[in-house]
Amino acid sequence: QTSWDMPTPYPDGNFHTRNILQFAEEVGEKTGGELTITVHANQSLIKHPDIKTSVRDGVVPAGELLVSRLENESPIFGVDSVPFLASSYELSRKLYDAQRPYLEKLLEEQGLQLLFSVAWPPQGIYAKKEVTSLSEMEGMKFRAYNLGTERVAELAGMVPTQIEASDIPTAFATGRVEAMITSPSTGVDSKVWDFLTHYHDTQAWLPRNMVIVNKAAFDALGDDVKAAVLEAAAEAETRGWEMSQVETAEKTQALTDNGVTVVAPSEELKAGFAEIGAKIADEWKASAGADGEALLQTYGGN
Amino acid sequence: MRRFLDALYRYAGWAAAISIFMIFALVGLQVSARLLDAGLRLAGQRPLGLIIPSIAEICGFLLATASFLALAYTLTTGGHIRVSLLLHRVGPRVRHVFEVVVGLCAIALSLYMTVAMARLTLRSWNFNDVSYGFIPVPLALPQGAMTLGLAILTIALVDVTLRAWLHRKYVQSSEA
Amino acid sequence: MGIFELSILLIIVMLVALATGLWIAFSLSAVALVALASKPALPAAQVMATSFWSASISWDLTALPMFIWMGEILFRSRLSENMFTGISPFVRRIPGRLAHVNVLGCTVFAAVSGSSAATTATIGKISLPELQKRGYDDRLAIGSLAGSGTLGLLIPPSIILIVYGAAVEESIARLFVAGVIPGLMLGALFMGYVAVWALLNPDKMPPREARVPWRQKLQAIRELLPVVVLIAGVIGSIYGGLASPTEAAVVGVALSLVLARMQGALDWLRFKEGLLAATVTSCMIAFILAGAAVLTTAMGFTGLPRQLATWIGELGLSPMMLLAALTLLFIILGCFLDGISMIVLTTAVIMPLVVAAGFDLVWFGIYLVVVVEMAQITPPVGFNLFVIQGLTGRDLFAIARAALPFFFLLLLMVVLLALFPDIALWLPRTMFSA
Ligand code: NA
Ligand code: NA
Repeated sequence: QTSWDMPTPYPDGNFHTRNILQFAEEVGEKTGGELTITVHANQSLIKHPDIKTSVRDGVVPAGELLVSRLENESPIFGVDSVPFLASSYELSRKLYDAQRPYLEKLLEEQGLQLLFSVAWPPQGIYAKKEVTSLSEMEGMKFRAYNLGTERVAELAGMVPTQIEASDIPTAFATGRVEAMITSPSTGVDSKVWDFLTHYHDTQAWLPRNMVIVNKAAFDALGDDVKAAVLEAAAEAETRGWEMSQVETAEKTQALTDNGVTVVAPSEELKAGFAEIGAKIADEWKASAGADGEALLQTYGGN
Repeated sequence: MRRFLDALYRYAGWAAAISIFMIFALVGLQVSARLLDAGLRLAGQRPLGLIIPSIAEICGFLLATASFLALAYTLTTGGHIRVSLLLHRVGPRVRHVFEVVVGLCAIALSLYMTVAMARLTLRSWNFNDVSYGFIPVPLALPQGAMTLGLAILTIALVDVTLRAWLHRKYVQSSEA
Repeated sequence: MGIFELSILLIIVMLVALATGLWIAFSLSAVALVALASKPALPAAQVMATSFWSASISWDLTALPMFIWMGEILFRSRLSENMFTGISPFVRRIPGRLAHVNVLGCTVFAAVSGSSAATTATIGKISLPELQKRGYDDRLAIGSLAGSGTLGLLIPPSIILIVYGAAVEESIARLFVAGVIPGLMLGALFMGYVAVWALLNPDKMPPREARVPWRQKLQAIRELLPVVVLIAGVIGSIYGGLASPTEAAVVGVALSLVLARMQGALDWLRFKEGLLAATVTSCMIAFILAGAAVLTTAMGFTGLPRQLATWIGELGLSPMMLLAALTLLFIILGCFLDGISMIVLTTAVIMPLVVAAGFDLVWFGIYLVVVVEMAQITPPVGFNLFVIQGLTGRDLFAIARAALPFFFLLLLMVVLLALFPDIALWLPRTMFSA
């Protein structure tokens, strides 16, 4: 009998967390109690930035994190956050399939194994007014939290501003920031209607979370337990992607219900962002080397 | 030896103070840049949008550096607090025993912390762990500073405990 | 080992470590190691190192050394004395007179800082020496500082409300607004206590100063001017969109440096002294926070807080009984854990109970913060007590005793909140009615 502690970054109500709680439950059932997983949600055991290292170093056997958090280690980790490269669930899934072998290789170098990975709802632009073209965004204070978002701001002529996630409501209320790009989920979770008015459904990219295990801890399990974990993981992945789409519909509706104006991006805005996206994709390819090129070839090929 | 040790604690303390000052300077620059932008907007000009990349992460690293490099200096100047109620109520012989035993416990704990932190640093170094934000800062840098601070603290604890044992000189809590 | 035996063992280890005079940060780490040893499969050293690391690099925490430094600069300048001479003609007739400055100062400063440690350290550095110099009762000064320092958590901005809001997916803006009235009410309760105490203990109050003519009162207002500029500058930088609440601390330091320099109270020597003193104090607090973080992680692994909360859930209590039981649980946990840890370790189990009992989540957040405020002043682990021990060198338990009346006032506030939920809910409802 083995029991695992599993830290995850997001709160209990989040759909990723709900999916993982069900995964943990199913592992318990499938293994007949051979392996029990205790989920510690909301960074209550380990903080988000330290989850990967904690799994790698054997502090905990498994954990969840945002894949693109690791993009400073290798650009491969950040391909899901290249703006406008894969801007629908279908394309995002295709990109994941293309990325998966390289992702697994990188993780394996650190003694880690990928169990499953689930996309967040697509990223859209929140602002205090409706924008229909890039020129209207010029000079706006835009929340940048990594190189990708800073590059978007820069290429769109916006003023990049660093705002910590917990600081978003205050920053909007006091005018330190005027626009941000994030998912409808995050928008609803932080009750954006308290401080802004418009959501542009640009579907810029679909970042993903992943659940990883320590390879040594996994290998120490019995063969039938291993098989049960992998089976539960595969089911959790399918379920997670479905939950994510339901989440997108529900949370976009919730935005409307609470008085946020949800608009489809105008053709002009789309064209402007497509141009920016192509530029950033080229830059990404240049930085990601041969593996990156091969990845994109697989992605564009089939 | 005495002078060397005191200088060691003091220089580490100063390095910590400089880290604190760097937090002040970085955040100050960021706020000034925003002030400048606000002025430019008022004057109808285009704001510059200067940002200090990864400011939150870097300030966090500077804070960790400061907190740990100052440990020994804080100990020897009586800055670390403890419950002294019992120590002041028992006789001098019992107090002496308490002080030495507590010193030895603290040395053991501090040594354990130093080794634990050193191993974390080493792993970060070997795996080339970097931070998440704009600038990929090698995590081994601030972790190394924390390890160094704990190592100096261990030395200071040995120093303090020896003085307690041999000369009955105990670390005083600072009175304001 | 059962969960019950483990709890007893950990409490004994902590009390013995503390009683023999082991430094507090080491005591917390030692208890954590004992807790981790109950799960032998865990790599205890790695858990410790990781906890140290992630607790020490917090961006929100960077405001703490800045505010402490600001206090050190003001302490070395004439500003703190000016503040006292400026206020004193106006409080001459109020029972308690200058003994109210801790409550007033902390209430105002709470609107600037998001943590109780920063509030207590900054105000205490200025007020305690001045109150002592003027012959005010030590216990009252220390107690009122310990109590009202906790207002930093309730009056926005508040780090702990951000943590809670993120955990239960409640609007942080609403939580902030909800904290305003209870925060001001607590301030009023504290001042009421100070006044009553002063009326009951006239022999412990310093002699009344002579009456001040009007012209001198105007003079006094001028003395207050620099302090007003300072506070307005810091709050203004937040609401004017120039600085986040964390960054505003730096604005406070910069303004204090300028004002001290203008008074001619800032030379290179004093600058160095102030910076070094701030470094020492913030090191002391940061090391204790690191020790507390290891203990929190160890508690997470042992599952102790979670099991206690589950046990309460299984009692099947009525809403009011549930609230009473939770208050008791948090008071007990609050003796040994810091506030934020208490919340993150128990929300997973407690929030479903709270939702099922029909409590409003914004209201519950305010209730939780008041309970956490109580935890800040209960020994052996109470961060306001630590800060004040750092300031005065007094013993932890003596400080806790001085703070006891304020603990009961906070408890009274909990009861008031339970009886009249609108204390917290009226303002957000009015402000956010769509
Ligand atoms: Na506050
Ligand atoms: Na406490």
